[in-house]
Amino acid sequence: MAMTSTFSKRAAGQRLTQFVIEDAMRLRQRANEGAFVVWIGVAVPAELFAGFDNVVYAVPESHAALCAAKGVGAQQAEKAERLGYSTDLCSYARIDLGTAFDGGNGSPIFGLPRPDLLVSDNNNCALLCKWFDVHHREWGVPHVVLDVPFCYERQQPADTAYIAAQLRDLVDTVAQLSGQRFEIDRVREAVKHSCAALQLWKQFLDLARDRPAGISAFDSFVQMAPIVSARGSERLVAHLQRLVEETRQQIARGEFPVADERYRLLWDGIAPWPQLRKMFGRLAAQGANVISASYTYCIGSLEGEIALFAYHGEEPIDYLARLQNATVCPQGMALRIAAMRRAISHYDVDGVIFASNRSCKVYSLMQIDQMRRIREAVPIPCVMIDVDHADARKYAEEAVFSRLEAFLESIDDARA
Amino acid sequence: MVAVVHTLHRLRKAGHRIAGCFPLYPPTALLHAFGFTPVVLWGLGSDAAELRQSDRHLQPFACAVARELSECLISAGQTTFDAVVSYNACDTLRNLPEILQAASPESGRSLPLLQFHLPAIPLERTVARSYLERNIEKLIAMLETLTRSAFSSRQFFASTTLYLTQHRLAIALEDAVGSGQISFAAGAELLQLAHILPVEEHIARLREQLAACADRGAVHAEPTRVMISGIVPPPVALADAIDAIGLRVVANDIASLHRSYGYAPAASDNPLAYYCDYYLNRPACPTISASADRRLVEIKRLINKSRSQGLIFLGTKFCEYEYFELPQLERMLRAEGIPTLRIELAAATTADSGASQLRLEAFAEMLRQSEHGDD
Ligand code: SF4
Ligand code: SF4
Repeated sequence: MAMTSTFSKRAAGQRLTQFVIEDAMRLRQRANEGAFVVWIGVAVPAELFAGFDNVVYAVPESHAALCAAKGVGAQQAEKAERLGYSTDLCSYARIDLGTAFDGGNGSPIFGLPRPDLLVSDNNNCALLCKWFDVHHREWGVPHVVLDVPFCYERQQPADTAYIAAQLRDLVDTVAQLSGQRFEIDRVREAVKHSCAALQLWKQFLDLARDRPAGISAFDSFVQMAPIVSARGSERLVAHLQRLVEETRQQIARGEFPVADERYRLLWDGIAPWPQLRKMFGRLAAQGANVISASYTYCIGSLEGEIALFAYHGEEPIDYLARLQNATVCPQGMALRIAAMRRAISHYDVDGVIFASNRSCKVYSLMQIDQMRRIREAVPIPCVMIDVDHADARKYAEEAVFSRLEAFLESIDDARA
Repeated sequence: MVAVVHTLHRLRKAGHRIAGCFPLYPPTALLHAFGFTPVVLWGLGSDAAELRQSDRHLQPFACAVARELSECLISAGQTTFDAVVSYNACDTLRNLPEILQAASPESGRSLPLLQFHLPAIPLERTVARSYLERNIEKLIAMLETLTRSAFSSRQFFASTTLYLTQHRLAIALEDAVGSGQISFAAGAELLQLAHILPVEEHIARLREQLAACADRGAVHAEPTRVMISGIVPPPVALADAIDAIGLRVVANDIASLHRSYGYAPAASDNPLAYYCDYYLNRPACPTISASADRRLVEIKRLINKSRSQGLIFLGTKFCEYEYFELPQLERMLRAEGIPTLRIELAAATTADSGASQLRLEAFAEMLRQSEHGDD
C-alpha cells in the first residue's frame, strides 16, 4: 500500500467546524430564550449543569482559543490593552476581556452571551479567578471560585472531600440563583456520556502509536473544542465515535499526517493556536510529526497518568471532584514527569519540545527543571522554544525554527 | 541581596534556626513558637546583584520577586536555612517549592519543605474554615516532627503577643512617615526589615526609631500627600526621590509593608482560631483571592482617610495579580478625582530608575498644580 501525506481532514474538519458553530448558536439561542448562563473556567465540571433544566455554560478560554486560531487574537487582546490591561497578562484573558468590553465585535462567533454567574477554578491557574473577577466587578455578576489544592503528590482524600463539598455548594448556588430544580441522576447520565467520550478520545490519541502516526497532535488540539463545549452530551460521544472511525479508515487507506515520518515528537505546552498550520507544515517538510502532547493526553486522566480514569457509577460529584486535576496545570513537577515518561514510552517518542509560554506561568515555570530531569531520566533529546498560545505578536518564527532544526539534528546525532 | 544574606549569616552565627518563608503572609508566630526565626523572602531586590542561580531554573518572565527569592534560597539555602515554609498564592509561586527542592540536592543537602494550602475561598464558609484548620494542624504536626518538640500553647501565646506588639509599632511608624517625622525611604527600609530580623530585634529597632521621631516633634509644612501601592517598596533611589521631590507618603498599600503587618489578631493560645482570624481579617491583597471584593473598598477608604491627593502604583513586572485589578482601580480613583501614576519595577539587576524618577517628578508637579487650582 502506498503511503501518502495527503492526510485529508476535510470530513472531520468540516464536521468540527459545524459542531463548533452549532454549539455557539445553540448557546446564544438558549440564552436569548432565558436560559441561565454560566461562564466557567475550562476545568469546572460542566456535567453539573446538566442536572438543571435550563442552565447553559460558556468557556471564555475556549472562545479565546477560537479567536486566536482564527487569527483575531492579537486584535481582540489590543482592545483590553488599550483599557489598561497589561500585555504581560495571559493572552486568553486579554482576548476575552477585549472581546467582552467591545460587545463581542471582532469575534468569529460574536462573543459569548452575558453570564448570570461566573465560576472559576484555580486548579488550572489562580489567574483565572482574577480574570473572572474583572467581569464580576464590571457587570455585578456573582462569581464563585472553586478552590482546588495544587497537587505536589496525588490528590488526597481530604482534598477530594474539600472539592466535592464546594461542588455541592455550587449546585446549591445555581439552584438558588436560577430558581431551577436539580436532579443528580441527570448529572450521573452526563458523567457517563463524558466518560464514554473520553474513552473515545484516548482511542483517538492512540492512533498516534502506529508508525507512521495516524494523527498529529495538531489534529488533537483542534479536536479538543467539542470536549470543552459539549461535555456530558450524547452528541459529543457521537462526534468522537465518527472521528475515530474516520481516522482509522484514513490510516487503512495509507493516509498519514506525515507519511515520511522520521521524527516522532512530543509537545509540552498549550497549543500554539495562531501557528498551528504553519508549524505543522514546516515540521512535516522535514519529516517531523508532533504526535503527542501533554495538553491533550492529560484529558480524562488522574495526576501522573495518561490512562483513562473511568466512571463506574459511583456518586458523580465525588468522581468529578477526583478528576479535578485532569489537566497538566494543577500538577506538580514529579507528577508531570511521571505522566510524560509514560507518554514517551507509550507513543515511542524521539524527542520532546517544551513550549515555554510567557502568557502561562503555571504551565511553563517548571519546564527548565522538568526538561533537565526528563533528559537525564529517559534520556531523550529535548528543546525549549518560546511561544505564546494566543498572541501572535509574541512569537518569533525564525528564531523558533532555527532551534527546532538544531533539535532535529540532535535526534539524528543521538541515533548515530 | 548582599545585606539580606549578611543578616542571615549573622543570625545563623548567633544560633538562630532560620525558616525561609514565602509568600508574604506565612504563619510566622507559629514558626516562632517552635523556636524558628521566620524570614520572609520577599522584596530582596534592592540589593540583588545577580540572578545566576535563579536563571538556571526560571524563565525571565517570572516576576522579580520569585527570581530573587529563588536566587537567595538556592545560593544560600544549604548553609543558611533550616526549613522552607510556603503556601499557595499565585501561579508563579506554586511551581517554586519543587524547583527549590530539586535545586538543593545538587549541592548535597535537601532542605525540609513545609507546604500548606490556604483556601482561596472566603473563610466565612464552613468548608474553607475547616480545611484551613486541618492544614494548620498538619503544619503543626510537620513542625513537631521536624523539631522533635511538642506544640506549646504557652509559647504560642508569647509569640503572638510579640507579633501583636510588632504590628502596633509598625503602624505607629507608618503614621510617623505620614506626619513627616521620618522620611519615606528610611521608614520603608525599617518596616521592610520585619521580614528579615527576628521579631524581638525588629521591635527594639522600631521602638528606638519611634523615640527618635518623638524627640524630633511634629512637622508643620503642608506636603503633597500620596498613597503608594504595589507588591514591594520602591528601590532605594526611587524611595529617596519620593522624599526629595516633596511627596509625603500618607497611606501605604504595599504588600510587603502595610498588607503584611497591617493586621495582627489578639494574642492567643489557639493556633486554629488565630490563623482563621488572621487570614480572614488581614488587609485585602490581590494574592488572596477571597479578599478581592474588599480591595477596592479598602483602598478607597485608605485614600479618603489619609486625604491622599494621588496614588502611585509600583507594579512588579509580570505580576498578573496586581495588574488584573489595576485598570478598574484606576478608573474608580479617576471618578473620585484622584490621579494615579503607574511605575513598573523589573528585577533590580535590570532596573533603570532614571525614567521613573522623571515620571515621579512630573506627577508631583501635576498634583501640586491641581492643588493650587491651576489648569
Ligand atoms: S493559558 Fe495558562 S494562564 Fe492562561 S488561563 Fe490558561 S492556564 Fe491560565
Ligand atoms: S509579585 Fe505577583 S507574580 Fe510575583 S510572586 Fe508575588 S504575587 Fe506572584
